[in-house]
Amino acid sequence: MSGAGLAGASLLGLAGCGGESSQSSSSSGGMWKQYKGTTLNFISENTPPTAAIAANLKPFKDLTGIDVKVTQMELGALVEKVALDFGSGKGQYQIIYADPYQVLAPYYQGLAELNDFDDDDSLPSIPKGPGDFIPAQLDAAGKFVDNETLYALPYDAPTMIWMYRKDLFEKYGDQMKQDLGFDPMPSDSSTWDQYYQIAKWFNDNASEVKYGTGHQAKQYDSLMCDFSNILWAYGGDYFNNGNKVGRLGSDDPGPALLDQPKSLEGADFYNKLLGIAHPGSTSWDWSGVDEAFRAGNEIAMTPNWHEFAAGIETSKLGGKVGYAKLPKGPARTSDMYGGTGIGINNSASDDEQRAAWLFLVWATSPNSQRMELFSKAGGGTPTRQSVYHMPDVKKAEKRPSNAPNMLTADAVFKAWEPQNIGLRPKIKEWNKCDTIIFTEVSKMLAGDKSPEQAMKDAKEGFDRAIGSA
Amino acid sequence: MMRPSFGARMMLPALLLLAALSIFPFLFIVWMSFNDVSPIGGLSFDWVGLENWTNLFTDPDVRSSWGISAIYFVATVGLEMAIGIAVALLVHELIWGKNLAISLLLMPMFIAPVIVGLLGRFLVDPTYGLYAWVLNTTGLYTQNILGSKGPALVAVILMDVWEWTPLVTIIVLAGLASMPDEVLEAARVDGANYWQRLRLIVLPLISGIVIVALLIRSMDAIRYFDIIFITTNGGPADSTKIIPIRLYETAFRFFDLGYAAAIGLSMLAFSILVANLFLRMLARQGLAR
Amino acid sequence: MTKRGGRTWARQVVLYGLLALALIWTLVPIVWMVLSSFKSADDLLATTPKVVFAPTFEHYKGLFLGGNSLWGYVKNSLLASGISTIISVALACLAGYGLARSHFRGKQHLSFWIISTRMAPIAAVIVPLYMIFRTLNLLDSIAGLIIAYLTFNLPFAIWLMNAFFADLPVSLEEAAMIDGATRFQAFWRVALPLVTPGIVTTAILCLIFSWNDYAFAQTFSGPSSQTIPIAAAQLLTQTGIDWGKLTAIGTVVVLPMVVVGLAVRRWLVRGLTLGAVKGE
Repeated sequence: MSGAGLAGASLLGLAGCGGESSQSSSSSGGMWKQYKGTTLNFISENTPPTAAIAANLKPFKDLTGIDVKVTQMELGALVEKVALDFGSGKGQYQIIYADPYQVLAPYYQGLAELNDFDDDDSLPSIPKGPGDFIPAQLDAAGKFVDNETLYALPYDAPTMIWMYRKDLFEKYGDQMKQDLGFDPMPSDSSTWDQYYQIAKWFNDNASEVKYGTGHQAKQYDSLMCDFSNILWAYGGDYFNNGNKVGRLGSDDPGPALLDQPKSLEGADFYNKLLGIAHPGSTSWDWSGVDEAFRAGNEIAMTPNWHEFAAGIETSKLGGKVGYAKLPKGPARTSDMYGGTGIGINNSASDDEQRAAWLFLVWATSPNSQRMELFSKAGGGTPTRQSVYHMPDVKKAEKRPSNAPNMLTADAVFKAWEPQNIGLRPKIKEWNKCDTIIFTEVSKMLAGDKSPEQAMKDAKEGFDRAIGSA
Repeated sequence: MMRPSFGARMMLPALLLLAALSIFPFLFIVWMSFNDVSPIGGLSFDWVGLENWTNLFTDPDVRSSWGISAIYFVATVGLEMAIGIAVALLVHELIWGKNLAISLLLMPMFIAPVIVGLLGRFLVDPTYGLYAWVLNTTGLYTQNILGSKGPALVAVILMDVWEWTPLVTIIVLAGLASMPDEVLEAARVDGANYWQRLRLIVLPLISGIVIVALLIRSMDAIRYFDIIFITTNGGPADSTKIIPIRLYETAFRFFDLGYAAAIGLSMLAFSILVANLFLRMLARQGLAR
Repeated sequence: MTKRGGRTWARQVVLYGLLALALIWTLVPIVWMVLSSFKSADDLLATTPKVVFAPTFEHYKGLFLGGNSLWGYVKNSLLASGISTIISVALACLAGYGLARSHFRGKQHLSFWIISTRMAPIAAVIVPLYMIFRTLNLLDSIAGLIIAYLTFNLPFAIWLMNAFFADLPVSLEEAAMIDGATRFQAFWRVALPLVTPGIVTTAILCLIFSWNDYAFAQTFSGPSSQTIPIAAAQLLTQTGIDWGKLTAIGTVVVLPMVVVGLAVRRWLVRGLTLGAVKGE
């Protein structure tokens, strides 16, 4: 019954334009109003959905009478604050943006188990049940090792796809086809090798852009994401049983596989690809490469986060960009998933935790996700299947779209299929391993190390980090 | 016991506060450096003896960070002192526009290092950066500044120099203003030219205050990491990973707090060493005067 | 100014030429920052930098009129750095004078211990301070930030004030005490007024150090106590850096400082003149 209660309450919340907070006649209304007057702190990375939520908190206040203060910051700063907060045992932030790799895996003990709240009759439960979340995302963003315990609800779902200048591909398509011997238009059968050739072709032949491809290859998290797509496409991996280590996570992933032949092949190719990429790549993180792409005359294509489509479509490139899943390698296609869940701080008081649950349910509800998607403050990316079936959401998949992120729908739906989704290892030591891999790859790109040496050193670093933990 | 002296009573409030602020954290850090510290569910300590300390001396990453720190330290402090003194001497000679020149030259140090770092990124960005564009169109440098090893280090050094040279300038300027006019006048009457006066009279007279400036800048050059943190965060290929960045990463990315404490204490020891050296120089100056 | 005979104007040309170089080095980034703060988003990211453009005030409007107005951050910055500066300078006047006028064994060691507390690496002291602040309920409070800033401002201020008082001739205070003043009165009525430039200098430098802090504020502040550098860092979002707002914040921060700098410059330079009083 409580699921239906949410639908009613949401409507009530959306319709109640202030001054009607006393209208809690229905039992579900009472369920939502029980923590009226509470103030909660929500700490989040400064991402589009949080920007949208922060700008639209009034419906939640009207629905529950709870004040939510949103603190947004860069992910590294967030990890520091959250870990210190867990360390203090005080629960300064009750609602936590729980990055699966940097927060959930190392600090899952600091997060409350959500199953209890979902089962509690005196609290609303997840509308449409947890099954409405895209399954791979529910596991990746919400759980750690144990398949039954839920620590976070999937909140956003940025995923890397292939963004290209459709206008330039159309203009030069025939010429490229002739020169290269294949149809350059991105499709399901495009390969990374073709991607390389297209990029090189643009370097040599197109005057509109300086380079064919650009990458987020700054010595940073972004480099790991960009590199992993290719590592996996070539059949390489970080650990054995990569799919499980990525999806549910692991306590004991075993020895790293980065020095294996297929991983080396991937590293070799990445090195080669970056050799012809825009030289700015080594200083660009994800926003840097996106800005370069949007500038229009720098690069013709890039592996980019799909939720950046909102910004691209409202820039001068609007309408000129095409979206496809990333090319495939000899082994598979893989599109790095960068989604996150929101969870509850275990150190918060019981009442605060229960109030925080109300926020979690509301913020990830279909209506809120729809609101975020259409929000002018940014444009989030729904994590629920039902949202993608809403008529106005489906309509936005075609131009002109009032939710430009939906223009990427074809690409991301393919990217999210279990065999395509790129899931980095979810292990406690990931912060250290992540730093090791992006540092070693950065050294490889700088010419300090051969791909063999870089991968060998990374493998040893991984094994040390995991062994010593 | 006799009644505490007047001097002691004057010092008491500040010293008590300072002790409260510094002694506990110091002991806490020392304690952490002998433990494996985990932040889950309230800090937990696990005694590991000298492990963190032996790691400190065998870790090749930490050693390479000290190397980069040494370059960064010598380059930033060296350039800031050289340019700062030169600009102060220049401004001191000005006849008109002196006040305005000083005010304009001081501006950078009022801008927070985080903003300076972001501004630096904005200026050298390969897509839309003003400086990158100038270097590119003049053909002086066409590669990616923050994405290439040497240039990235030079860039973050220059950002630091831009921000903190004014601090040296103003301190030295004060020293110049306090020089007794009679001595200079006497030298002038004796026919000494500018460079002779500078070498024989001015520089010895201001050397005390120059060392004060050197001390203040050195202390902060070892501690501060905001500019690198916000621009390259240590990259590319670890070429700008100075020791405070390594410390920050160990503490707040890996949450290896015990090891971080050991790194921090080694930095403190280095600072104390350097400060001792400069203070001894200062004391000699004082005696000479 | 003493008269300078035999100055050729060629010398002046060289002098002002060098000054122009120094000003270009210093001011180009600032002028570019101010210009950029009036550019539209497209002009900001133009691949050929634009000097001529249609100015817009959207970034300033966004900063001050939006839901997350900069005023709150400005207020927090002013309170935290202002109060920590006042406390530091006040206590440092007492302690600096006490230290300068006492003679005891180990004085050098005490003096060195004071300044050494300012050398503690930032990332290392964050954890213990965090634990103290948690216990005392000072996280996310201006009071917490003030205390954090005292850790680096107080030793610096004591040290600087000690230098100023040490350069002050004792004879003036002795004369006052012969006239019947107590030691404290001699300090308060004679010594303190004489070091006013030193006090101004110390205060300005303390203000700069705390006003510019990022690492402490990032860790200890929360939703209700964030400062300007935090506001700037928040513009670094997952989807890009808001350069328009960033340059606007930079402009908002630097322009008042120029005014303050002009106003107190006379004091600042004289104040840093450690031996000035002795010479007079």
